[in-house]
Amino acid sequence: MTLVDETLGWLADPTHWQGPGGIPVRLAEHVGLSTASLLIALAIALPAGLWIGHTGRGAAFAVNLANLGRALPTLAVIGLVLPLTASLDPQLGFKVYPTLIAMVVLAVPVVLVNTYAGVAGVDRDLVEAGRGMGMDWRALVGRLEVPVALPVIAGGVRSAAVLVVATATIGAVFGSGGLGRFLVEGIAQNDDGMIFGGVVLVAGLAVLTELGFGAIQRALTPRGTG
Amino acid sequence: MRFSRALALGASMLALLSACSTGGGSTTIKIGSDGFDEARVMAEVYAQALEANGFTVDRAGIGLGGRKVTTPALESGQIDLKPEYIGSGLAYYDATKTTGDPAANRTALQAILDGKGGGITVLDYTPAQDTNAFVVRKETADQFTLAKLSDLTAVQDQLKWGLATDCPTNPVCAAALKSAYGIAPKDVTLLDACSTPMAQALAAKTVDVAELCSTSPEIIVNGWVRLEDDKATQPADNIAPIVRNDLLAKLDKTKFEKVLNDVSAKIDTATLAELYKEVTVDKKDAKDVAKAWLTANGFVK
Repeated sequence: MTLVDETLGWLADPTHWQGPGGIPVRLAEHVGLSTASLLIALAIALPAGLWIGHTGRGAAFAVNLANLGRALPTLAVIGLVLPLTASLDPQLGFKVYPTLIAMVVLAVPVVLVNTYAGVAGVDRDLVEAGRGMGMDWRALVGRLEVPVALPVIAGGVRSAAVLVVATATIGAVFGSGGLGRFLVEGIAQNDDGMIFGGVVLVAGLAVLTELGFGAIQRALTPRGTG
Repeated sequence: MRFSRALALGASMLALLSACSTGGGSTTIKIGSDGFDEARVMAEVYAQALEANGFTVDRAGIGLGGRKVTTPALESGQIDLKPEYIGSGLAYYDATKTTGDPAANRTALQAILDGKGGGITVLDYTPAQDTNAFVVRKETADQFTLAKLSDLTAVQDQLKWGLATDCPTNPVCAAALKSAYGIAPKDVTLLDACSTPMAQALAAKTVDVAELCSTSPEIIVNGWVRLEDDKATQPADNIAPIVRNDLLAKLDKTKFEKVLNDVSAKIDTATLAELYKEVTVDKKDAKDVAKAWLTANGFVK
């Protein structure tokens, strides 16, 4: 009961909603970092996944690479790239880029595997029919494979988005902004209200992300399928 | 193949069983520590010194985390023993009582710990001292002619600060900087004190002033300048094992205390800094570092 009180008390305190370390700023940092890393991951994983799914070439390589990416602990990725990025830019290279790169590494495999599996899973009879109708590869991918595979692809994007929003908190250990600051500082400062206030905010954002992307995924799923 | 695997499993289980059966009876000493390398290597020194004298230890709590985690663990008996920085340990309970005198800090900490978790005993502390240190790069020291903390007051807003994550609420950090030096920095990055990221941040110029430990090996390796705490705000942090009284009651207390007190007596500041460096800079395993030192000093044969 006291923990609930402390958490609600921390969240209700107006001083926690203002200034450079306040909830709105941390929330904006968190959403900004998550969005940027998701967009970069999509720019890498969508074309790669489409190409592999369409051609069937390099599938084993891509899946293994993706699994390797999943096996890398996020904290290790941050620790590995930090000395390099920090030498390029003392500020962003220390506080932003390492977490950003780690989030891209986290999101790419999820999007890649789903995109590949979605496209590769399109009924071969459909593809053959398309070819028979004289569709070139652009039309095959753009007007046939992608629309049919879209629910599966969107499912991958949704998983990746939720994963990134939840995991981006870890960057706070290395001075990154975002909602993770409340967890790291709350633990160090012995402030349960701050810790669990931060937990509530991160969990809430993850749930909203899940619901939002879920709605998008449903909208993209043709009626009568999925 | 299957046979040899079963054999290997059997052998390792035997080894485990025999490891459990040696030593001082059935009592296992659960050792814990803070997360940073110096605390971990000290815990490992205790562990191996005790093992060499027939005690049985459990290392699961080594590197557990900060005081927020280790203090409740010790008070509730999840761990029995940890290396404690007696000045900062005292400040955790009552920051008004810390002094620059380690003996006084120990007495004050003991008085508080008598009433915690059924009684906790502070054993002898090391001659070694490790104090919170505010460190700048050589070129920053030259540029602003910095030698002591009060030199920072006038230029505080021209510098980027790397302070401990608990600094805002730690009475010997933010509060002390403000009241003693008039320092209330604006551009602050909060990182774990004495940690690798803190040292990396100073090296990469992410910050200009970093809160490290006086024994942090990066200070020497990089030729950084430790600013003198000329208003004596930072407590004397000698390291002592603190141990639960209910554990002491279960084993040969005299022998147990002698083992740890003999070890602590041998650890001066240079020794502590060397052990810390071998783990942090030379990337050696804390177990190997502790073993080499204990062997060289005749605690382990």
